[in-house]
Amino acid sequence: MKFLRNRLSSALLVLFGASLITFTLARVIPSDPSLAYIGPKATAAEAAQLKITLGLDQPIPFQYFKYVMQTLHGNWGYSLSTKQSVLTEIAIRLPATLELIIFAMGFALLFGVTLGVYAAKYRGRFQDSLIRILAIAGVSMPAFWLGLLLQMLFAGRLVWFPATGQFDIELKYDHPITKVTGFPLFDSVITGNYHATFNGLHHMILPALTLSAYSFGLLSRMARANLLEVMSQDYVKVARAYGLSDRLIFFKLALRNALPPIVTVTGLSSAYLITGTFFVEQVYNWPGIGSFAVNSLLSIDYPAIMGITLLAAIGYLVINFIVDIIQSKLDPRVWLK
Amino acid sequence: MKTLVRPFICIEGGKLMSFKNKFSTPRIRFIAIASSALLAIASFAVPTAAHAASVFKVATSAAVTTWDPVQSFSTEAFYMTNIYEPLLWKNPDGVSPEYSPALATAWTSSKDGKTWTFTLRKGATFHDGSAVNSAAVKASLLSSKSDGGAGFIWDALKTIDTPSDDTVVMNLSYAAPMDLIASSTYGAYIVSPKALAAVAKDAKYYESGKDGGSGPYTISSYKAGSSVVLTAYANHWATTKPAYPTIDISIVADGITAQQMMTSGQVDWATNIPLTSMTSLKRNNKFSVITYKSPFNYVGYFNTLRAPLNNPKVRQALSMALNYREITAVGGQGYATQARGPVPAGIYPYDPATPQYQMARAKAKSLLASAGVTNLTLKITYASENSAEARFVPLIKDAFEAIGVHADVQGILFNQQWAAAKKDPANAQDLFIVKYWPTYSDAGVDNLWSLFHSSAKPFFNLSYWKNTAYDKLVDDAIELSGSDKAAAQKLYSQAMMILYNEAPGLYLYDEAQVSVVPKKFSIPKYNINYPFSAFFAGMKLS
Repeated sequence: MKFLRNRLSSALLVLFGASLITFTLARVIPSDPSLAYIGPKATAAEAAQLKITLGLDQPIPFQYFKYVMQTLHGNWGYSLSTKQSVLTEIAIRLPATLELIIFAMGFALLFGVTLGVYAAKYRGRFQDSLIRILAIAGVSMPAFWLGLLLQMLFAGRLVWFPATGQFDIELKYDHPITKVTGFPLFDSVITGNYHATFNGLHHMILPALTLSAYSFGLLSRMARANLLEVMSQDYVKVARAYGLSDRLIFFKLALRNALPPIVTVTGLSSAYLITGTFFVEQVYNWPGIGSFAVNSLLSIDYPAIMGITLLAAIGYLVINFIVDIIQSKLDPRVWLK
Repeated sequence: MKTLVRPFICIEGGKLMSFKNKFSTPRIRFIAIASSALLAIASFAVPTAAHAASVFKVATSAAVTTWDPVQSFSTEAFYMTNIYEPLLWKNPDGVSPEYSPALATAWTSSKDGKTWTFTLRKGATFHDGSAVNSAAVKASLLSSKSDGGAGFIWDALKTIDTPSDDTVVMNLSYAAPMDLIASSTYGAYIVSPKALAAVAKDAKYYESGKDGGSGPYTISSYKAGSSVVLTAYANHWATTKPAYPTIDISIVADGITAQQMMTSGQVDWATNIPLTSMTSLKRNNKFSVITYKSPFNYVGYFNTLRAPLNNPKVRQALSMALNYREITAVGGQGYATQARGPVPAGIYPYDPATPQYQMARAKAKSLLASAGVTNLTLKITYASENSAEARFVPLIKDAFEAIGVHADVQGILFNQQWAAAKKDPANAQDLFIVKYWPTYSDAGVDNLWSLFHSSAKPFFNLSYWKNTAYDKLVDDAIELSGSDKAAAQKLYSQAMMILYNEAPGLYLYDEAQVSVVPKKFSIPKYNINYPFSAFFAGMKLS
């Protein structure tokens, strides 16, 4: 209980800090919200009136207090660009982003850990070098650059995958998805609309691979390094001395002990994916939070920026909390700490 | 599902179980094969069935700032001109007649240009079924004048008479070209009285994608920042119905992404493709690259409040430092021409006789020396989201360095750039680069007035320049343009000569409009008077 209480109080402190910093920054940078709200040719009188309407003529501490109170009551403000409630905008876009993150994390875990184990098993050989190159490329290549390259090659030249979007545009006319949970790909599965499912998977591959590149690199290097470290431990030598087979030692003894750091990195990578979607969604025109965030930043749509920052902060905290729980299951010493 | 097997984690009944027996080479191999199979299936999944030929798919960067036709003053004009109609449409430069009938079929003006009579089209209806009549036109125009984003265009309008259901008489306080004003891309749409009443009760009435227009299309779906679907209005007055009853528009902020969508066949047509892509698209035999004159013009404002930029000699010297050919080539990528002042070619009152500055660096240096300028450092700001500015502004810096003037360049978002310039002019930037275009096809009322006419508080006059002779010429020309356009042109030309001599700004280049048209389709020609608009009713297969 004490552990949970400590985590919760530090989480609230982080949320308060994040909201205060973002709010202050949004207010002190010189910008004119009327541009986002009524267009670049808004007149001086309209811009002045808008400032009063939006409460921007009030002192900043008062504005912040009002913002906190409204946020706590579920009112995250209205986007200056879309004029819709920020919470509604987030709710509409979040499922598409979560589906993308889930697939990206799936790819990263599948390929990252598998290839990391493989590299450790074949340490110093050709396979190890090849995987190392892939991992370094994944970590070092910016997502928007990798996204454009994949898009140009696989969508532009080879035409194996669609260039953008979550589904083909025609799908909403030929095979419309019935909304059940709001997660379109999941809804297509549970409503038996497999045409849409395959179409969605087809669209998912490139953005998910792009988004997973960084996590893939990190996980594969981490899995390899940890396995090799564990393999050099005394108990592994003892197991070898007892005549246990390499396969048994590798998969049944070493891998489990190498897992906790991998879980930590998986958690951190998942959190990274939240902001990683900003670039990937922009490149692939993915209808999620990321493209909304980029457009909001470019138009200095501060209520939307505040909402997205708050969401990202909550996302980080939740993921870290989950990682702590998994860690404690894998290693009971975590609870004692 | 009680058991969920992941590559290295096994959860049974919600509990993490021992990893014993869960890992083996065959299992990993299985996962690898399974995932490869999934990838293969997804890769070769058959795309959706050929959609009904009735849907025309478009990708555009045109954001919707508002769906309110009265407030509309931004890039939503891309959609608006399909949903709403003005009284008249203005045809592109050089096309005769100058105007095409929209909701008015005939129009006349009195000799003094102060009374204009419009005869309305019979049988036209709004999408809500109500008739387009003189009362509706009067209500729309008065609403635009009092509440509109571009309400100032109706400044001359004093009263409106409605002697019959199909006749509207506009009485003006001074002569003004009401045919031109009534065909504006902003502030001239005729809106259903029902919609006007609804928005008076609820300011957010339009924002979910409702409309009150009479145009050939109506909004059937709108996802903010993501997509717009337009469907043909069955009772539209035009005898020729649109070839595409459904227009599905994806809002794509990035031009390269829009280009990828078009070249890969995801959409039929894309707009706002970057100029840097034109060379490769010209080589693609599926597309035609067509160039038109546009109303977009690049200007740099000198901060005339501060020494030594308050000296016209210094401003002239800096104007002579630029290599205009290079700036035009790099900024406009071959789709631009050097500007003759702040009025773009093809828009009234452009004057081809207005002189241009040419690169003359020796003369520039001697002008600076005669003004006693040494060790000058200038701060240049430009809109970082504008890729053309990002390309050519370094050339301005280099040009200034060549005559011994150092420049610090700052690329920031336009709304920050603009806000900083308005906030504290005396301590603001030294040179402000901007892309400008007129609200409607009269760059005298707009560009010449907005950019350089003196004002108590800076708004778009960001050179903060004040010249009474210039102000008088422009004010007189505006008053004359409704009754004697030729006389007004003379005054405007004199005003532009003052701009040349006094050089409160750098007149950089007129940008061309470059449209990429799939050869498969016939797409209506670009109309300089509606620079953000696409007219979907005219789209058809080639």
